[in-house]
Order: sequence, then structure tokens, then C-alpha cells
Amino acid sequence: MALNFFDQFMSPTYLGIPLIALALSLPWVLFPTPSSRWLNNRLLTLQGWFINRFTQQMLLPLNLGGHKWAVLLTSMMIFLVTLKMLGLLPYTFTPTTQLSLNMGFAVPLWLATVVIGLRNQPTVALGHLLPEGTPVVLIPFLIIVETFSLLIRPLALGVRLTANLTAGHLLIQLIATAAFVLLPMMPTVAILTATVLFLLTLLEVAVAMIQAYVFVLLLTLYLQENT
Amino acid sequence: MPQLNPAPWFAILIFSWLVFLTVIPPKVLGHSFTNEPTPLNVKKAKPEPWNWPWH
Repeated sequence: MALNFFDQFMSPTYLGIPLIALALSLPWVLFPTPSSRWLNNRLLTLQGWFINRFTQQMLLPLNLGGHKWAVLLTSMMIFLVTLKMLGLLPYTFTPTTQLSLNMGFAVPLWLATVVIGLRNQPTVALGHLLPEGTPVVLIPFLIIVETFSLLIRPLALGVRLTANLTAGHLLIQLIATAAFVLLPMMPTVAILTATVLFLLTLLEVAVAMIQAYVFVLLLTLYLQENT
Repeated sequence: MPQLNPAPWFAILIFSWLVFLTVIPPKVLGHSFTNEPTPLNVKKAKPEPWNWPWH
């Protein structure tokens, strides 16, 4: 029975069309491409405001070398937030629950920050492996630990996103099933469960936005260390 | 877990990067922002005197 609940994460195919292709390509209809007009409609103004403020906030900890990453990071944020918010609607599929997608983004971007750091300032980049003020005795051990923590970053980035979303969707489905099953037998408990479900959905909305933000933020931090 | 099914891994990866690289940046870059208005108490610099006629 528990395995049945994981079926929602199978990449669905309908009439031979992989629906994940639709889930990845159709949300951008919600973001009209701005024209060269100065005065936009409300939707464009709202999106433009969000992009502007977000980019400014994101570039605060980065020095000028990191500002080249602005488009990439903003696009990443919009990509993740849109996909996740749309995935919270009933009967939609969230592509970001697929490990392949998240790892596919986490590993190249993390690797890019590391390679940039090693190319431009190898001493500083390697120096990050040893925190200041370590006792001399602990140095070899700590370098191994820091190297390992560096290498595990892409894995953590990808899996964090996947696991948070998967767990959230699973919980929603579980509690919704519980409320639905309880409705004919114990309506009061069903109503309570429905309340829990409502609160959980609100939480999931928050988690969706936060997780996307965390992803991008960590990338900026890695970038900051290395530029 | 169905996410670990290796069959569509590569396809999902390629397709998501394709969308990420081709569709989104033009939409993001298309937004143009006006300059921040300067505050009122900024004084304009007095024009330097010049010794050639107006026109």
C-alpha cells in the first residue's frame, strides 16, 4: 500500500507523450516576454519588480566577478519557484521531484563554482579547506573532512530539493487519503484531518518557495567563496 | 522509488537544461528597469564658463 503512494512521482506518459515535457515547457506561458515598451501591464510589472528585487538581494554578497552569474541565478530561481508552485495544484506533476533534474542542475553549477575558484585563485580556494584557528594536531583530519564536505555539496543540493518536495507531496497525498476515507465513517475526524491538510498545503507553498531560494542562495555562497 | 528509474534520466536532464537555457533567459533579460530617481537635494553643477559663441 505504501508503494502505491510513490506512483505519483513516476514520470507520466500519456498517448506516448512524456508529460514531463509538457510540465517543463508550458509554465513559461505565464511569463510573457516583455516588449520594448516602457509601460507594461500589471503582470509584467509584477514579474519585473520581483526579478529586480530578487537580483539585487542575490548579488549583495557577491563581488563584481560574481555579477556575471546574475542571469543564471535569477533564471534558476524563476524556474524552480514556478515549477514547484504549479506542482502544488492537484493533479499536476512537479518535475523538480525528479532526482535527475535536480542533480542535473546542482552538479554542473557547483562544479562551475569550484572550477572558477581553482582557476582564478587556487591558493584561496584551497585555503577554504582549512578553517582558521585549528589546532595543528587536527590539521590533516580536518582537511579530509573539509574536502569531503566540499565534494558532498552537489549531492546535498540536489537531494535536498528532491527530498523536500517528495516528502511534502507524499504527506499531502497521505493526509488527503486519510480525510477522504474517514469522511463516511467519522465526519468530525475527517473535518479535523481536512484542516490539517489545509495547513499542510500552506506549509508546502512556503516550503516550495523557500527550497528554491535556498538552492539559489547556496549557489551564490559557493560562488562568493570562489570569485 | 520511481524517481530512481534510470530510463528517462538523461532525457529529463537534457530537456530541462534545454528549457532552462533557451526559454527563460530571454524572458528575464527582456525586462528593462528605469533608473532610480535622484533625490531633490542633489545640486546641479554650475556650468563652466566658455569662450566660444553659442552657435
